[in-house]
Amino acid sequence: MFHFVDQILELESGRHALGIKRVTAGDTFVQPNAGGAATLLSCIIGEALGQLGAWSVMAAKDFTVRPVAGVVGEVVIIGEAAVGDSVLLDTTIDSVTDDAVCYHAVASVDGAVVLRLENALGPLLPMEQFNDPNEVRERLAKIHHAGDSAGKYQAGERTVAQFDLSFDEVLSFESCKEATAVRTLSGSEAFLRDHFPRKPVLPLSLLLESLLQLGQELLEDGGSRYIPTGARKVKMSRFVEPGSSLVAKIQVTERGGEDALLKFRCEVDGKRVCVGQADYSAVVGESQ
Amino acid sequence: MNTDTIYPKVREIIADVLAFDEEEIQRDGSLVEDYSAESIDFLDLVYQLEREFKIKIPRGMIEQEARRGVANEDFEEHGRLTDKGLAHLKEYLSEVPEDRFTTGMQVSLIPTLFTPETFCKIVLREMEQGEQAASD
Repeated sequence: MFHFVDQILELESGRHALGIKRVTAGDTFVQPNAGGAATLLSCIIGEALGQLGAWSVMAAKDFTVRPVAGVVGEVVIIGEAAVGDSVLLDTTIDSVTDDAVCYHAVASVDGAVVLRLENALGPLLPMEQFNDPNEVRERLAKIHHAGDSAGKYQAGERTVAQFDLSFDEVLSFESCKEATAVRTLSGSEAFLRDHFPRKPVLPLSLLLESLLQLGQELLEDGGSRYIPTGARKVKMSRFVEPGSSLVAKIQVTERGGEDALLKFRCEVDGKRVCVGQADYSAVVGESQ
Repeated sequence: MNTDTIYPKVREIIADVLAFDEEEIQRDGSLVEDYSAESIDFLDLVYQLEREFKIKIPRGMIEQEARRGVANEDFEEHGRLTDKGLAHLKEYLSEVPEDRFTTGMQVSLIPTLFTPETFCKIVLREMEQGEQAASD
């Protein structure tokens, strides 16, 4: 399943939406954090915010178009959502035209912000190319309801295999400098069934998550550790389809005592598919 | 005000949008041919220019403006520019070097002609129109 809005509480078509993502142990995209607690991948929280915005826009456009990943001006990772948490998703549409939607969004757990998206831009494309519009309509009807269904909600047991975020092969790796890695989309990845039924493509959120994780390894050097605090100017310029081999190159541009900055560029067949920057913060007092 | 005033900022945004160094951006370079701009980049560029200069750039504006005053059938035939259409486009995109226009070029390829200066002109025009509207 690659749907992350469990319930829509409020839906103002083309303007604003409020929704919930409940983090369960059965989630594919839950991983242990540094302290061992099972938490939802940050980029999936971002994906959930984007999906909520998509619901609002698709409803406003009567399911004739759907947004796809384009540009994310800024992702700010502030906290985590652990198994058992309900993440409140709040997406505001800044503008919708015939060809694109611009929005910003914030996710919080128990009133504390865990992630923000700023200046996100999604091109609008004919929905028929990606989904069956009727299925999309039915799904919205299913998840859009007021009221608290928390009573039925249980964190549950871990039932699914963890999603493999790693690249197939690291082609080069120079600690604290740069790394190159490759990943080929086989076509059998489970997330492709929903993203999208009629046009399976690699989700930007998963690509970004794997880049952030590779960047984290790249920054590690003996005693020092860094954790990702966000990404900026992330742009997806082409779809990555099954059979494509994506080559990712990450470069450390700054690495100081407090933070670090990385640049990344991904290509398929020599053509740019995704570029951006990633921010990290040094973890103090955890030297080994 | 002229395009020289806004060019430095426009160049900075273009470099940012296309992931190039500012020094690499030529004012008359083709955004598509020389800097591999894709459709998402044009979208990104328009939004960033709108934010920076506090203007509104109507979508598809360049082509619409280029067609102004020419009937559709005089501008294109089977998706290709007529001689009249080409002459009109050359006049409108006067900042684009002459040799980049080809006889009977496809209408869908018009964006390959756009240069940083093309966007400077658009920004300037929208800024001036905004000022005019504000003083009316």
